[in-house]
Amino acid sequence: MISFNSKLHLATLLLLFLLIPCSAQNRIVTIAGNGGNDVVAVNKLVSEVLKDDFAALKIDVQYFPVESDYSRFILNALSSGNAPDAFYVSVDMIDNWVATDQLQAISARLREASRNINPVLLKAYTIEGKLYGIPKDVNTLGLQFNTDIFDDAKVAYPNTKDTWFTFKDKLAQVVNAIGDEGVLGTCLSPDYAHFAPFALSTGWQPFNENNQTILDERFQRAFGFYVSLIHDGLAKLPADVGQNWPGGCFGTENSAVVMEGQWLSGYLTDKAPNLLYQSTLIPKDPLSQGRGNLLFTVGWAINKNTSNPDDVEKVIELLTSEKAQNAILVSGLALPSLLSATEFPFFSQDNPSSQMAKTILTASTSGNVMPHNFSQYGKLWQQPIDVALTAAMLGQLSITDALAEAQKQYNTMVNTPVKQRHKQNQKMEKQ
Amino acid sequence: MISKALQRNFYGWMLVLPFVLTLLVFFVFALIRTVSYSFTDYDLFSPANFVGFDNFINLLNDELFLRATINTVTFSLVVTVIQTVLALGLAVLLNSKIKGKTFFRTAFYVPSILSSASVTLIFIWIYQKNGFLNGFISQIVESTPYIVSAILCFFILQTVQVIHHRFIGLPTRFFDPLLAIISLFITVVMVYITNRTGLITSTPMAISMNWLGSRDDFGPMPVTLWAITIQNIYTTVPTIMLLFLAGLQTIPSDLYEAAEIDGANKWQQLRHITVPQLAPVTFVVVTLSIIGTLQMFDQVALLGTSSPLESRITLAYYVYHQAFSDSGTPQIGVSSAAALILGALTLVIVFIQNKFGVKEKS
Repeated sequence: MISFNSKLHLATLLLLFLLIPCSAQNRIVTIAGNGGNDVVAVNKLVSEVLKDDFAALKIDVQYFPVESDYSRFILNALSSGNAPDAFYVSVDMIDNWVATDQLQAISARLREASRNINPVLLKAYTIEGKLYGIPKDVNTLGLQFNTDIFDDAKVAYPNTKDTWFTFKDKLAQVVNAIGDEGVLGTCLSPDYAHFAPFALSTGWQPFNENNQTILDERFQRAFGFYVSLIHDGLAKLPADVGQNWPGGCFGTENSAVVMEGQWLSGYLTDKAPNLLYQSTLIPKDPLSQGRGNLLFTVGWAINKNTSNPDDVEKVIELLTSEKAQNAILVSGLALPSLLSATEFPFFSQDNPSSQMAKTILTASTSGNVMPHNFSQYGKLWQQPIDVALTAAMLGQLSITDALAEAQKQYNTMVNTPVKQRHKQNQKMEKQ
Repeated sequence: MISKALQRNFYGWMLVLPFVLTLLVFFVFALIRTVSYSFTDYDLFSPANFVGFDNFINLLNDELFLRATINTVTFSLVVTVIQTVLALGLAVLLNSKIKGKTFFRTAFYVPSILSSASVTLIFIWIYQKNGFLNGFISQIVESTPYIVSAILCFFILQTVQVIHHRFIGLPTRFFDPLLAIISLFITVVMVYITNRTGLITSTPMAISMNWLGSRDDFGPMPVTLWAITIQNIYTTVPTIMLLFLAGLQTIPSDLYEAAEIDGANKWQQLRHITVPQLAPVTFVVVTLSIIGTLQMFDQVALLGTSSPLESRITLAYYVYHQAFSDSGTPQIGVSSAAALILGALTLVIVFIQNKFGVKEKS
């Protein structure tokens, strides 16, 4: 027969079994980001690298990668009240998301904790004095070249002293030497994201002091040079050689050089592991002797309707910590947004991927570098330039006509206040 | 006690209830919301403000909307006409007594069961500058001297042989199979000799038409929309062909036998028996085709991202473009107004078709 004490012990044990899981119940924070290449790296970050840190905070982080159109997903989720607590917001869309009034401003505490993050990036996420996202990574464009092709053609490698014209001359020498073997100088995308380093290197600004987009002489000079690479037979559009991006031409050794970001590294590791390449900065403008580049970055933003903003901020702090950014760097996904990133051991390694990373990090602070952000116009802003580049590169319009058409569109787009701007102004007036 | 009639009604209502509910939620409710949004400046996040007819007036002043309307109506007319004629022709061919009929029926139907995304991907490859279509056109253009000389040679040889046969009193037709084979054989040999000896030469031609990135118009539509037209016809014709094929099975064979006895040839039989007898099917096909093409969206979204928006935009895509604009601010009010105009346009065109176009009864 079981004694009373034994029953008491048994009851206590049962109670403990019931209570322990209750007391250990972690709070849940949901996060979402792009699918594709991010999934493996972020899953590893959440379930391995930062596992103990989250456990110490008694927070369970649930990660939802979005494989479909990311912006549409977040738009629908926010409007229906089902958005995750924290989610990626790319720098080109931050103004649009802030305009929806669905983002929580970052607290002074997290802002202070993020002081080691590149201030240029933080500035891009600051609207009306409030910070709306913590940049988790950074990328710019560098120039990668196939050393085998340059050796075969007996042409000097591109280097940091190159201007547009010395660079073009090297491409011409390569094409003259081994062009009959099907080697191109480069593949060029007809879009602002790839063309911007040339336009910005002249000192041109997307928005002038009157907040207008004027495609002035500097822009026209850069535009003419970029298009001339195609017209002079030194470059082709990726689609013309059966590829869907310039990296594809480079990976298949169709082109001698390419101008891409760190994302090229992972692609080359997978698709062209034996390709010998080096990296350098994109050539300078011969007239201004300046450089230019775009900063691509994605930040973690907080859903205004989250039920536990403090926990979400703690999670973001960990996701953008040195430990997390180092893990992401090693995975080959992106470069760190931290100022101290240059001291990471990865950058002192002697391999093409590390050298590319180092070059791209250098490019992020060289010359006229601007975030890939166009205030309230979002991605729409670059459409006229993209269309003009396509038309001029395909020979459908002359350079002059293509630029005139683009300028006409900017006059309508930028000089006509959009509804959203009205709304923002009205809101501010009411406040 | 529940009467039998009431019981019967109850079961009837229970059976249609799922459909009625679906209709109420996804059609009636959605329509009411769309109508109400079309008079507001709703953007998914801010409270909607009543703006009267502003959205409709702005649409009529929007060049992109007008271009989308013209593109949509032209696309609808071109696709409907071409695919109806093509599908009828294929159905008539497959209904005739040919060998391997089952194989051809299956083969022709395959495009219809492929996913739109896969077909689009295949067509993106076909339409590339160095893709299949440009390669094929280049080959045709390059071979034009041979093709023209071959056709001429064939007809001259055939004419000579037929004249000779008739001269010696044989009642030979122009396309007599045996003579045609002889003419063809001699033609191939002659073209080969002229090619080898260099009597006829061709200049290499590389057509590099930009099908998907073009801003040019060809006839009534932009080139990009023509590319989408070809793809749309490729995927839709098989289904329509099947409908026509089913319709052809119902035409009594007596009619054709009687026509044959009366001396009607194949073309006359097609024109005076097949087409009128297929009127109910043609009516359904044309109506569905008009509705489907006026709502063309997916292929435009997938196929034409590299061309300017004006060169590929249709009304359905305009509605989506306003709701999920690249500028990030959803213009739900404008989008709803455009959707209503598209709905009204569809009704008007279908009404005009019913009134003045193909009738249900011949």
